[in-house]
Amino acid sequence: MEKAILSVRNLKTYFFTQRGTIKAVDGIDFDLLPSECLCLVGESGCGKTVTALSILGLIDSPPGRIVAGEVVYHDVNLLKSSREQVRQIRGKEIAMIFQDAQSALNPVLTIGDQIAEQIKLHLKFSRREAKERTVSLLKEVGIPSPAEAADYYPHQLSGGMKQRAMIAMSLSCDPQILIADEPTTAVDVTIKAQILDIFRRLKETRQMSLLFITHELGVVSEIGDRMVVMYAGRLAETATVAELLGNPRHPYTVGLINCLPDMTQGNDRLQSIPGTVPSLIEPTNGCLFHPRCDKALAICRRQKEPSVLVNQGHSVFCHLYSPAETSQPC
Amino acid sequence: MTNWLASINYITGKVGGIRKLILILMAALLGVTILLDVLVVEKIFDPLGYLYIALGTLAVLYGIYPLYTSRRLVGYYWERASQNRLAVAGLAFILFLILLALIGPFFTTDPTATNFEEKNIPPLGFTIEESVYHPETQQSISKTITGSGKHPLGTDNKGRDLLAMIVSGARISLQVGLLATGIAVALGTLIGVTSAYLGGKIDNILMRFTDIMMTFPFFLLLVFIVFIFGPNLAFIVLVIGLTGWTGTARLVRSETLSLRTREFIMAAKALGASDSRIILAHLVPNVISLIIVIATLSIPGVILAEAGLSFIGLGDPSVTSWGMVLRAGQQNLDTAWWVAVAPGVMLFLTVLAFNFMGDGLRDAFDPRSAV
Repeated sequence: MEKAILSVRNLKTYFFTQRGTIKAVDGIDFDLLPSECLCLVGESGCGKTVTALSILGLIDSPPGRIVAGEVVYHDVNLLKSSREQVRQIRGKEIAMIFQDAQSALNPVLTIGDQIAEQIKLHLKFSRREAKERTVSLLKEVGIPSPAEAADYYPHQLSGGMKQRAMIAMSLSCDPQILIADEPTTAVDVTIKAQILDIFRRLKETRQMSLLFITHELGVVSEIGDRMVVMYAGRLAETATVAELLGNPRHPYTVGLINCLPDMTQGNDRLQSIPGTVPSLIEPTNGCLFHPRCDKALAICRRQKEPSVLVNQGHSVFCHLYSPAETSQPC
Repeated sequence: MTNWLASINYITGKVGGIRKLILILMAALLGVTILLDVLVVEKIFDPLGYLYIALGTLAVLYGIYPLYTSRRLVGYYWERASQNRLAVAGLAFILFLILLALIGPFFTTDPTATNFEEKNIPPLGFTIEESVYHPETQQSISKTITGSGKHPLGTDNKGRDLLAMIVSGARISLQVGLLATGIAVALGTLIGVTSAYLGGKIDNILMRFTDIMMTFPFFLLLVFIVFIFGPNLAFIVLVIGLTGWTGTARLVRSETLSLRTREFIMAAKALGASDSRIILAHLVPNVISLIIVIATLSIPGVILAEAGLSFIGLGDPSVTSWGMVLRAGQQNLDTAWWVAVAPGVMLFLTVLAFNFMGDGLRDAFDPRSAV
């Protein structure tokens, strides 16, 4: 297997609030391989964004704190590095795109200025060189008349254009890793297709690794190579996209796939997984999904789910597949 | 030649833009002149001169240049502000005042030159009767004095030209108003934004410091400083500037508190911006409209403070300010009413003009007032 460019090991990010400790991310592991697209999938509030922010050391403290784990990038543990070292890596080596480009762009600066800022900061380019690079970046993400667009303020651009500008901004220093936090959630379907197209092209032309955070399995099947399913701050299942979508094991993954509306099959009611994500303040001892799981066993309530390798590169975190499984129904 | 250009490019790239380079060079130049001033006895600039050069450079680089580069936006705000007639009138008066202060002194006589032959001359178009004691006949005789074009606003009881005094006063008032407000607003903005952005202990320390500063009776402090260090305009400006930032700091802090949680700050961090960069390049530009309004509305207070200080006799005696003329005129209100009226009217109009313009700017910058 190839050497991972970024490894997350046993990452635990907790938020210490007055109501108790929220275990937003509770011990997750994954590897990001060179020039692959890894999708982080899960429903709202399962810790996808917190994982991304933890990698970049952007958790607001207080109330948040990374209590354990390591994030290894090129043999350097980012969680043990100094603030200054991490700052040098942010934007230059690992860049991030936010969900809502509308609010992620500074309203009082032109987009050209905002993109050029990173270039001047990290690559020490002169003003003119930075400007040229800005224009070529805007061109690369498909903004028409890029030289003019550089002088626009965010409010003068449409939603899709803003998202493209945001992508151009994150690409400005040729990052090795691009973290995209639901970049297609806030745009409509046609723009979504165009944005996904940009990502697909970038993956081919730039040879960079993409950590794509989304809750849409449709998007995953479009651009993902491998995927990680998260539930309530823990891992549920990880495999290649084809394997996982074709042969899901974890009841949660199965539920997610069943939730997809099927346009060919009449107008049945949309399926859903009963219940909601549990409160993360006082989680139960056992598997966090067991209250919603229709295949739950007695052990699920008492014991944390084990990691089971079902196939080459396909792990599932569930008692159902555990070899020592005591198949007493719940 | 190309080598030379390349090295310039390299340096500007290092310090982050040509503007910063100019700023650093200016600071270095000022530092050298201050050193020369201190080490060599000969004075190059007085303390206010340094303030002027520093603030002037800042104003051009970060005020006029950005306005020039974003002409379209300026046009938009002008369109909105110009619907408020009073604000435009205020702006016109302020521009007139600035022009008066800048080029007026070249056309008027020395405001401190006394001439007892021509004392108590009324303004042009007015005539007064004055009883003069005649030393030979030892009788009081009535004498008619008519205003002349030589002294369009008349003269005071020492024969000083009132027009020259008003022009000099305009210069002093604008100096004090702009410099002190510049210092106060710059300090307040920096403290407010830093406090809100860094939060936690630093926020607490800075805000309690602000609270303590607010409890200082500022006018008393001013009287105190004048008493200790002597009535020097530079001290007066510094004291007003160094004590007047508290309100700005609080307003800017509350505005920044809502900005710092916005996603674009997180995005800037995610792309590797440092704390100082976020404060200066991302937060300050977002509060600039608030700052402009605060500054415009606090200038009149500062001008009045200086006038008040001069009026009670604690102003800088080496300069002719409106407060000082007002004080001189108030003593002869029965014989020469115009001496007190002229600076009074000017003060009134100036304060009003700045307030009108401030209101107009506030409305123009406030998106909620868009019709």
